[in-house]
Amino acid sequence: MIGRSPAAALALAAALAAGAAARADDLRPTGKGAAEGGSIWVGERPAAPPRRVVVLAPSLTDVVLALGLGGRLAGVTRQDDAPEVARLPRVGGFIDPSPEAILALSPDLVLWVADGGALAAVRRLAELSRASSRPFPILAIPIVTVADVLATPRIVGEALGDRAAGERLSRALAADVEAVRTRAAGLARPRALFVVGREPLVVAGPASFPDELLSICGAENVVRGGRPWPVYPLEKAVADDPDVVVDAAPQEPAEGIRRLSAIPAVRRGAVLRLANDDLIRPGPRMVRALGDLFRGLHPEAAR
Amino acid sequence: MKASRRTRLALALAAGAIAVALAVVLSGAVGAQPISISAALAGRDPDATILWSLRLPRALLAALVGCALAAAGTALQALLRNPLAEPFVLGVSGGAALGGSIVLVAAAALSRLAGPAGELLGSAPPVAVGAVAGAALSTVLVFGLGRIGGRLVPEAALLVGIVFNSFVAGVITLMKMLVPPEQASRLLYWLLGAVGYESPGTLAVGAILVALSVATLVALSAQVNLLTLGDEEAASLGLDVRRARAWVFFAASAATGAAVALAGMVGFVGLIVPHLVRRAVGPDHRLLIPASALFGAAFLVLADALARLAFLPLGTEPPVGAVTAFLGGPFFLWLLRRTARPEGAR
Repeated sequence: MIGRSPAAALALAAALAAGAAARADDLRPTGKGAAEGGSIWVGERPAAPPRRVVVLAPSLTDVVLALGLGGRLAGVTRQDDAPEVARLPRVGGFIDPSPEAILALSPDLVLWVADGGALAAVRRLAELSRASSRPFPILAIPIVTVADVLATPRIVGEALGDRAAGERLSRALAADVEAVRTRAAGLARPRALFVVGREPLVVAGPASFPDELLSICGAENVVRGGRPWPVYPLEKAVADDPDVVVDAAPQEPAEGIRRLSAIPAVRRGAVLRLANDDLIRPGPRMVRALGDLFRGLHPEAAR
Repeated sequence: MKASRRTRLALALAAGAIAVALAVVLSGAVGAQPISISAALAGRDPDATILWSLRLPRALLAALVGCALAAAGTALQALLRNPLAEPFVLGVSGGAALGGSIVLVAAAALSRLAGPAGELLGSAPPVAVGAVAGAALSTVLVFGLGRIGGRLVPEAALLVGIVFNSFVAGVITLMKMLVPPEQASRLLYWLLGAVGYESPGTLAVGAILVALSVATLVALSAQVNLLTLGDEEAASLGLDVRRARAWVFFAASAATGAAVALAGMVGFVGLIVPHLVRRAVGPDHRLLIPASALFGAAFLVLADALARLAFLPLGTEPPVGAVTAFLGGPFFLWLLRRTARPEGAR
């Protein structure tokens, strides 16, 4: 046990410091996405299929549920809203997971979407795991593109000891995406502005999921530049003159989009309001919502 | 040759008006999206929409906020008899933000029970009333707690104001957790201080409030001159000190409340502008208050244009409060070192 005597505590502190120095870079992002083999295992890979899995991202919870392995879940984040996990313990949030809440569940695997916001907390968790009597592995899966989303079930399935189910789900999701891409090919390409926040105006730029989703659905993002989620000058949005504005702020009242009525598309009523935030949940939900986005962008093809 | 006060007032007001006009023209001409002014004047879109529906209302908003904050800052400096006084530093802006936030949170709660009533409460006029009330209460608090042994100690009042500001920032952060995400981002805006795009109705409410409160301060400017002499002197010259001070307090709070309701906690405008204007027109508040109000308007319009332009290469824009804090923080410290110098060394 930890801290039986002052000497032991000191030794532990020294070991922690040494361990941190030696392995602090274990979790450093490789720059490669999950689809390119960028996933990182920290700690020993489990010999037997894990039974107590803590998941630090709602989109990964969705993957585990879609694999039919919901019974293995021991804890999820406070943002998790799938009904199947409503009664599971919460271990903090997507960007602020609580290492102590995770330790208290004594997991045998932690799944994490390698996201910069939670890096410090997960690093701390890895140190604590190493120092504990029952170390557990952490699997960091960098999900930044749709290809990563499609590769993730394969990776999670393998980690949970059900390679076949993972493979099946990955293939099914990829087929859904391909179906939309095929339908969109040859249709007119509307120019779209994807709005996630109105005041200030925050939009999806290149290198964001929506940018790629718009392209799959046969639409073109009007936003250029290097930032995935820029605070966008309203006057630029006016001058861009998109054909359609995607209102991806479902938690805000629909009529609030009138704030943006300087944009001609909003004045015309060419607003595609999303019913929920599934499209920005990079997992099975995103793929499922792709059809709705396609139909909204191409009302002519939906009939 | 010494011009009469009337001539100097006319000169100062003319200079201020020209500064505002130039600032608004500049702010209309520049932005993230290059536009053709001639196309805009001819009514061709998108240039016309960008100029008339976005840039000019935004410049007007910045002008209103700058005008109110600079006038309030001038009055507060006179009341505290200290050049470091300013609505933001003294916690008056913080009180206004807290008052406005409480109304917003109440509106969010009410709209869950009775939708339309909640929306009504969350609209511009009730939020402005909350902000003015919050500003007035915090002014009373800061000037009350700044009294030691029955005497107003400027340093104590400033310290109370600064502590009160941090307290308010904490409380608003807590309230952010209690409201829906839409309201939360709005509350964050209050803390940052940002000039955005408001509806004509909101602008009209703000303009009326700013005009009334600044006009009151201008009307009181002769009494403000007496108040700077100290309570006993002012009373011996026949001024009803308590009454005059209460009015100045209230008008300055109303101006600050209006500014915060429109743009959140934009800091240091009331510090930088009155100080520079005082160097040009001298300490007479009959000149200083109206001139500060005009130059404050010009200053914030320019600061907002700077905020919009500075980060253009990154394709994004920071809130104007960040720009005024960037300029105002060092200015405050410089002023502090200057005023802290011993009398003889001045």
